[in-house]
Amino acid sequence: MEVNWTRKDLLSLYDLDPEEIVLILDTAEEFKKVSERNLKKVPALRGKTVVNFFVEPSTRTRVSFELAEQRLSADIINMTASSSSLQKGETLLDTARNIEALQADLIVMRHSCAGAQNFIAKNISSGVINAGDGAHGHPTQALLDLFTIRQKKGRIAGLNVSIVGDILHSRVARSDIWGLIKLGANVTIAGPSTLVPRDFEQIGVRVCHNLKDAMEGADVINLLRIQHERQRAGFFPSTNEYARFFGLNKENAKYLNPDAMIMHPGPINRDVELDSALADGPQSVILEQVTNGLAVRMAVLFLVSGCLKK
Amino acid sequence: MTEKNSYILKGGRVVDPARGIDTVMDIGVSNGKIVDPAKIKNPEVIKVKKLVVAPGFTDMHVHLRQPGNTTAETIATGTMAAAAGGFTGIVAMPNTSPPADSAGTIEYIRRHTELYAVVRVYPTGCMTKELKGEEMAGIGSLKNAGVVAVSDDGKCIQNHELMRHVVEYSKSFGLPILDHCEDAFLKGEGVMHEGKWSTLLGMRGISSASEELMIARNIILARMIGWKIHIQHVSAKESVELIRNARKRGIMISAEATPHHISLTDDYIKKFDTNYKMNPPLRSEQDRLAVIEGLRDGTITVIATDHAPHTATDKLVEFDYAPFGIIGLETAIPVCLTELYHEKILSLSDFVSKFTVGPAAILGMDFGTLAEGKPADITIIDTEKKFCVDASKFRSKSRNTPFNGMEFRGKAAATIVAGRFVFDEIGQ
Amino acid sequence: MSSKRRLCNSRKMDDAIEGVADAIIAEFSRKKEMDFAFIGIQQRGVPFARRLIEKITRKTGFKPQFAMLDTSMYRDDIGMRATLPVIRETDIPFDMNDQAVILTDDVLSSGRTIRAALDAITCYGRPSLIRLAVVVDRGNREFPIRADYAGMKIIPEEGKKILVEFKETDGSDGIYEIDWSNPTKGE
Repeated sequence: MEVNWTRKDLLSLYDLDPEEIVLILDTAEEFKKVSERNLKKVPALRGKTVVNFFVEPSTRTRVSFELAEQRLSADIINMTASSSSLQKGETLLDTARNIEALQADLIVMRHSCAGAQNFIAKNISSGVINAGDGAHGHPTQALLDLFTIRQKKGRIAGLNVSIVGDILHSRVARSDIWGLIKLGANVTIAGPSTLVPRDFEQIGVRVCHNLKDAMEGADVINLLRIQHERQRAGFFPSTNEYARFFGLNKENAKYLNPDAMIMHPGPINRDVELDSALADGPQSVILEQVTNGLAVRMAVLFLVSGCLKK
Repeated sequence: MTEKNSYILKGGRVVDPARGIDTVMDIGVSNGKIVDPAKIKNPEVIKVKKLVVAPGFTDMHVHLRQPGNTTAETIATGTMAAAAGGFTGIVAMPNTSPPADSAGTIEYIRRHTELYAVVRVYPTGCMTKELKGEEMAGIGSLKNAGVVAVSDDGKCIQNHELMRHVVEYSKSFGLPILDHCEDAFLKGEGVMHEGKWSTLLGMRGISSASEELMIARNIILARMIGWKIHIQHVSAKESVELIRNARKRGIMISAEATPHHISLTDDYIKKFDTNYKMNPPLRSEQDRLAVIEGLRDGTITVIATDHAPHTATDKLVEFDYAPFGIIGLETAIPVCLTELYHEKILSLSDFVSKFTVGPAAILGMDFGTLAEGKPADITIIDTEKKFCVDASKFRSKSRNTPFNGMEFRGKAAATIVAGRFVFDEIGQ
Repeated sequence: MSSKRRLCNSRKMDDAIEGVADAIIAEFSRKKEMDFAFIGIQQRGVPFARRLIEKITRKTGFKPQFAMLDTSMYRDDIGMRATLPVIRETDIPFDMNDQAVILTDDVLSSGRTIRAALDAITCYGRPSLIRLAVVVDRGNREFPIRADYAGMKIIPEEGKKILVEFKETDGSDGIYEIDWSNPTKGE
């Protein structure tokens, strides 16, 4: 049965039906081809205005979105907190309304507060694409993860996928979990007990506080970046201790199936959550994730821009 | 509505738990007092058949925002909202700007109340100077100025030694303590209940332990000193258990619950609507049911709204940054009738007592009954009227309610203060 | 609920396609060498191209190359309709430069789809020539585009459109007239 995209915004994978997620992945397949040919451009978003509103700064995600927008022939404006009047005390809503008044068709937004994009999307007519909101969600990252898994493994349903690291503070983990559950994967989360809450068991996720359990039988292992602020805040004693018990390295990699796929949203803390050799090795798909990120974002921009404004 | 001095409310179901009355009878009003209907010459007759006639309801927890934040609410608009909600009296919290920590501010409030309030306003004074939790405020002077209780609401004294002194001192002036129980460290930067939903949504949570710990502190102090400490807005099931056990042991602890804590839960936060953000936060379904059980078995003797007006500008921001608080005066009776009376958890008499006898006992005041000679403060309720909440029609200056668009069964039909109708929808 | 009236059965449709194949063979036989490739426009230009390839191979021994092209990314009405069409597969396994290509589609109407296809093709390279083959030319042109080979010309009634069905995509062959259900002009 054919599914059509009818949403004005992309805020969270929690909101989407499995069919809608599959539609995005299928659309992304075709956009990947655009980036592989000589003329890496299509006129799909020609004449559309996209504002990259990164209230919380980012380099990688912003560059990826910017390139996706350019390949779709859109007109782009980049705004950050410091380059906007948020600095002068203007409210977020007023800033967004000003952007809307410039006839922005789409706003790609990142913010450090969970739900900021939901709030803005409800109050302006431009389409809002969530590029990360606090620890709540990062839907395009999860979509590119799903795309990568599907491409390499041929399916998602029934796969054993483990996500390792600071789940508590991770928007990537939350979006991955929703996307994987909706498409029928078996999800395991693992890491220090201070950073991996058991509450996720209530939605059908397996929770472990040791790496070996998470590795055995996994088809895919996704390692999250550990942030030094968490160590300073007392969630774990030291980076060494984290690396020793929860980092994927040559010694404990023996518990991983040889055809298990290693993923990481980047940037990698080499030899902390992931050994250099494994990051660059044959099981790693980390760079492909970046390439796929471009295709997935082109698909999302295309689908969301195609929605009639209400 | 009548401007007449003398009238009879005829044929209503009079529910007066203070006197153990629940029967159809007439109530006479003359010169602002309750009188024997037979003794009135040529009275006007107001038919209130099928309506409930109760002693005037008092809301023990209201933020009037005046002095200081009159964009959100004033004594005038706040009391009009109270009247529309069926309340004849409200207890005003002291976290105004400047805070009510001196006789001067209380005098300001009393004067504005005389000039502009349409219902009775009972002021409270701060426990500590400027609500800083460091030095005791002039509680004796505040008593002289007319406060009915002391509170640091909005904040909670973290230093137990200081709290102990405040309780001892207030006891000597006969002033009950109304405490907003919260451990500042456990609350931290939390914006919603710490539980399954805060984990799934990636938001910082306020643990129930924060409330529980300070309730335990208060129970110990009430026991040690032998004085009345009233726990405001109880929200967690562990809190209800602590209070239940303390009361069984005869400790002078009382508690109130809000209409929103008995009707809403933390999963609503996934809408990221700041009209669901308040402190203490909406908690889990088990907590909600425990609070309802506390009301049913008499552990919690008061329902109070914690009516906290905020302008739309203040609330239309990122969830993390929005101020805590929602209004509640104009939705309290509909929500509570729907959730407690129509769900057969409370009898009508018990329901009425949560707004009358309950508050009167804690404050040591003699309102809350329709005995002859008492001031004619009367709340008339239509328990069956369908009410779809339309915030744009509120008398309050603010609109920050989570109930907009929701349907309830039952609402206030009329509110009478000192014999005068301050709100009348009888027959509509 | 649209009404569906059959205009041609599978035999008549096959005859029309055969006619197109013959016309193509006739033109390209006159050139120095018989060399062209088919690009089938998604969705129903694809089975049409495959039928033509089968017939031409059988008649001449030359098997043209086959590509498929989805034009959704090149449409001029993105954001104007209630929903976006689903993007189907694009696969062009040959070098477009200096290649003679025959675009195929089921129905030629406004000409906008063909315009989009021409844009798409030029993103892949510089073909030596482009011809257009359709099963049905139904008139109603909005752009100055013509079909070089048309199986048949049918002008439907006011408010109706032409639907060409293939066994591969719809279960059986046939040409139908159905109610016009899409409110925006162009296809």
